[in-house]
Amino acid sequence: MNPAIQAILFYVFAFGALLSALGVVALRNPVSSALSLACCLAFVAAIFFGAGATFLGIAQLIIYAGAILVLILFIVMMLNVKDEQPAAGHWCYCIVGVVIAGMMAGTISSAALRLPGATGGRCPVHVLIEHANELCPVSGEEQATQPQTPPAEYGGMLPSISMKDHESDVSLLGKRLFTHYNMSIVILSFALLAGALGAVAVGRKLRRD
Amino acid sequence: MECFWTWCCDILRNPTWFYLLTTVAKLALVFAVILAFVVLSVWIERRVAGWIQDRPGPNRAGLPLFLLRPFGSKKEQPLAGLLHFFGCPPDGRIARLCRWLRLDREIPTFGLIQPCLDGGKLFLKQEITPSYVRKFYFILAPMLVLGPPLVAAAVVPFSSGVSTTFGDISMCVANLSIGPLWVFAISGLSVYGLTLAGWSSNSKYPFLGGLRATAQLISYEVAMGLSVIPLLMVFGTLNLQEIVTSQATDGWTLLPLWGGGLSIQRWVLWIPMALSFLMFATCIFAEANRTPFDMAECETDLVGGYHTEYSSMKFASFFMGEYAAMVIGSAMVVTLFLGGWSIGFGADEALATWNQWVAVICQFIVFLVKLLAFIFFFVWVRWTLPRFRWDQVMKLCWLVFIELAVANIILTALILYYVK
Repeated sequence: MNPAIQAILFYVFAFGALLSALGVVALRNPVSSALSLACCLAFVAAIFFGAGATFLGIAQLIIYAGAILVLILFIVMMLNVKDEQPAAGHWCYCIVGVVIAGMMAGTISSAALRLPGATGGRCPVHVLIEHANELCPVSGEEQATQPQTPPAEYGGMLPSISMKDHESDVSLLGKRLFTHYNMSIVILSFALLAGALGAVAVGRKLRRD
Repeated sequence: MECFWTWCCDILRNPTWFYLLTTVAKLALVFAVILAFVVLSVWIERRVAGWIQDRPGPNRAGLPLFLLRPFGSKKEQPLAGLLHFFGCPPDGRIARLCRWLRLDREIPTFGLIQPCLDGGKLFLKQEITPSYVRKFYFILAPMLVLGPPLVAAAVVPFSSGVSTTFGDISMCVANLSIGPLWVFAISGLSVYGLTLAGWSSNSKYPFLGGLRATAQLISYEVAMGLSVIPLLMVFGTLNLQEIVTSQATDGWTLLPLWGGGLSIQRWVLWIPMALSFLMFATCIFAEANRTPFDMAECETDLVGGYHTEYSSMKFASFFMGEYAAMVIGSAMVVTLFLGGWSIGFGADEALATWNQWVAVICQFIVFLVKLLAFIFFFVWVRWTLPRFRWDQVMKLCWLVFIELAVANIILTALILYYVK
């Protein structure tokens, strides 16, 4: 894909994800919050698609947006949760909130500073606009013959999965999961099974007879 | 003129523009086909219902001749005059055929007038938004039901690819490497529409309908996902275009009669494939909310279901969504099990070597015919089987289908490993 288009789409989807994530926190109605979360997950899935990780994106849509969030919505509606009231603040909550937010911000900014487009403290979008002509050749013939190479200051394309040997990302992911991370998967599935069994044990009614 | 032509060629030679233009063209085609099939399946539904349950109704009405004075009334017998004009005997075979077709009384319209008037009625009805609903979600819900099936159609291949002088065209809108998963994910999103419709109506019965729809759709999604895994194990790919291509060369999943399909392994594999087909088709019925699984709109115990409070085109768009889901479900069954666009018996390759475009058009027509046949099956089942009870639906999914699907996966793995 054209690197300029890819980058622009990335920023559009990222902006949408941020906006709907803000909606989750800001909206008072729990159903609106849940739907904002669904939008946010869909935008993140779109970013995964753009990076070539189609399976990851679709798994996000099927599992989180399609099943888990619907269940959350289901429960919110079933219990008929009322609109959230602004709670009286306590300074303890404030401190805990600030600490957690600070940790999150640290994680995100350290990841952002390592983005390939952000070398030398430059914003990837800025570099993109400066070199728009070099990134997208105007005439058709030129583009067909020349390989698309972004300029050096651009710091490389946004990370994406390269399909070597016509192997789809599904099989790449599967091979990785079932060889390198096999033990972790087995342990995780046992944990999930224990959770399911616990839910059944708690939820079942004891018969009197 | 020549300048314009070279300009067109220049644009098409640019791979980005070529990709963009062909994609838009394919998108328009797929959209048109689905919308046409939605209308068509409404008509098929009424005709087949009248035929199966033997109910004469408006779907059999024609234009009565006595309305048209100039053509003569019933007594003046315009048919007799016409037969006389063409020199046919008044009690011969042709005359009897014409009488059986009721040509002496009316101009036949094949029941096409009724759906047209139905659509017009739904457009012109008063649009009522009750005062007690949650307005934003009330308006959003029908859109969320109608939208996803149209988006899910993007990965369904409707023909094999062609290579032109400007580049190759793959005949599906998005040739993703995760075809069936895309359809499951996107059509799974329509559950939001049903849930929100039930909840935002702010009334008991629609709410119950919405809850039922949610529970049913989530449950059957699990069974549906598990039931196609044996198929993916056999084909070894998630790309729908590749799945159909291998079916075209090696025999359809349910009809391995040519190519590599004549091996012992494929014929032993027919058993898990048939099981998989049965389960997948049933889950598609449940996902499309069709009888015998239309618990969400069960008139006898919920006034109308999640769409009770809706009127006019909003009401109609729920049903358009249902029919669109039916069309997409049929397309998936046809693609995965009945060979998709493949003509069969090795005819695809022979046609493609003769002329690519003829092959593409033939395959497109074959795909549409298969789609129509499966839609007819959908309608047939609807007017034959009674509706299940709610607990039966849930039991069928959680206690029968999921276990059977897992057993089917193990069986397929054993066959693939031991039978060569």
